[in-house]
Amino acid sequence: MIAIFLLFLSFSFKTFAKFDADISGNLEGQGRHSWNNEDAKKDLMQDWDDEDFYLIYGNLDGKVEINGSRLEANFFARHSKSDLYENDYIAPQIFTFPNKLVARDVFKLQHKKEVQDSRTELILNKLYYEWDYEEHRFMVGRIYINYGLGEIFNPINPFNQPTGLTAISQVAQGNDGFNFTFFVSDKYTVDFFLLGDKSVNGYEGQIDRTLWVHGEYQFSDKLQFDYVIGEDQKRDKLGAQVRYSFTEAMVFMQTLFQTDYVNNEESHPLWDMMIGYDQQIINKWHIRAEGGYQKLNRYANLNTLSERFLPTEYFIAIANQYEIHPLVKITGTFVNDVKSGFTYFIARNTFDLGHSTEAEIFGYIPVAKGDKFSYPAQKLVTTDIGMALRTFF
Amino acid sequence: MFKQFFRKDIVFCLALGANANNATEWSKFIDREMRGDRSHAEIMMTIETPNWSRTLEIESDVEGKKQALSTINSPAKEKGIRTLRIENNMWNYFPKLKRKVAVSSSMLLASWMGSDFTNEDILKASSMAEDYEHKFVPNQKIEGTEYRVIENTAKSEAKVMWPKIVTYASPVDCLPRQYRYYDKQEKLKRVLYLDDVKTFDGHKLPTKWVMQPENNAKKKTTIIYKNMKFNSSFKPNHFSQKNLTDY
Repeated sequence: MIAIFLLFLSFSFKTFAKFDADISGNLEGQGRHSWNNEDAKKDLMQDWDDEDFYLIYGNLDGKVEINGSRLEANFFARHSKSDLYENDYIAPQIFTFPNKLVARDVFKLQHKKEVQDSRTELILNKLYYEWDYEEHRFMVGRIYINYGLGEIFNPINPFNQPTGLTAISQVAQGNDGFNFTFFVSDKYTVDFFLLGDKSVNGYEGQIDRTLWVHGEYQFSDKLQFDYVIGEDQKRDKLGAQVRYSFTEAMVFMQTLFQTDYVNNEESHPLWDMMIGYDQQIINKWHIRAEGGYQKLNRYANLNTLSERFLPTEYFIAIANQYEIHPLVKITGTFVNDVKSGFTYFIARNTFDLGHSTEAEIFGYIPVAKGDKFSYPAQKLVTTDIGMALRTFF
Repeated sequence: MFKQFFRKDIVFCLALGANANNATEWSKFIDREMRGDRSHAEIMMTIETPNWSRTLEIESDVEGKKQALSTINSPAKEKGIRTLRIENNMWNYFPKLKRKVAVSSSMLLASWMGSDFTNEDILKASSMAEDYEHKFVPNQKIEGTEYRVIENTAKSEAKVMWPKIVTYASPVDCLPRQYRYYDKQEKLKRVLYLDDVKTFDGHKLPTKWVMQPENNAKKKTTIIYKNMKFNSSFKPNHFSQKNLTDY
């Protein structure tokens, strides 16, 4: 009977439905040795000298498609180990950034285990169902929201942290809610989002809502305009991005304004801006520059590095990538706070080992200290040297 | 069917013999044969150095020289990465992170996935027939085989990467067997060798392309056309951002 049913089901799928399924993923292990910043020891009670830190993380991504609809899920696991956890030092939060794998979180869908010197997280950071039609697309569940050109700072998208400066790159943040995309024309697309978040109050109490619109309009061959408007994290927000393409390069600008909290909690308005430049200099050398300003949130809690990683208020960042061999890529990124003089250098050297496996040597080095009135997060930046091994399947 | 195309080549090449200076017509013929108006290709690319090699499988859809969409099918690390080009605008899409990234058109000259081909080669952003002026130079014999040689010089208004390309074409089937690419200083930078001609939908196409950079004799990239469909019927929104992100 079961065999007949399975035969019928198989026949039905083949006859009436286009069925497709796929599983993929990646696994990465990292080890680093870290030296503490003297200012962090004195001013921020981070009284440690040097420590080792180990991290292993991975994604398992699954997709099932039937005709015009699709179910997608991603399971993210991360385990880290270091003596720094024993005294709740902040540095591990930098090493594992982004710490929040779900930016707007109603359903939790995660398990965390903290023991003396290690942390383990198991998270379903993507789980959604999608219906795809000719001119629109509808998604419900835990979704990735990924737009905006900033790789180091991307203020118009509060739902996914850029990973240009972080050690974890194979990750996107999930968001719980609904997304309706309307493809108005070849040149104009509008995304509507209704999201919720309970994680701010530890999954207790009411859901903080997000009502968000993102539009993308291609004015001409060279000019594109994005806008965002909505209410998110108890603030009204309004922002835009303009991109202009030359034959040789691309220039883009973003700005985002955030009002006070709408529920009269103590706060002040925030605003961010950035300008970026991107060029392929020669066929093996790519350069990107981003500079801008992020207003310091005086009410933010330094102990929860959950929202922003960029350790500067005014910043200029220059990222170079050079392919010295088809197997070997070298990346160097300088981030400078033009106000305080703080300068941070990130170097990565990636070796392709074949069979979808690569090794990386990396270094995170604060090469110039900021002055004592600078952005507090600058003092938390440690000097690190480490290695990573990653594989894709 | 074979007879039909054999006759077409003979007629064309005889006509060319009668009008030996018509290098532009020759280039148009090559474009028509190898590009067509629309095509869908399944390609295997192998990047080789003495101690290492890497193979990628790609699907590439092209319509004219204005629209192209490529998808990487393997290896696992790059699987699903798509590139859409509409005129001078390019976007990459990374399905695992659901990230669509607009890229500078200067990326057309970037190495494609570490190979000796550029984005421009893969996305067929330029057309030899339309973007270059053509003239014959004296025939050349290479390893016992005589080739018709066409010097292609970029038109002043053309947005192309190579100011000069020299075509070495077979006088038998009129298709190219070598392209030599020169930079602004007239220095030879790379050579593309084409071989193993097969017929797909009435179009003759060299199915083995080997790109050899001039400054590194130990490295090369080989493309094998596993399958090619000409005049494919794409959906009206095939070359759109909606389709780019539907993976």
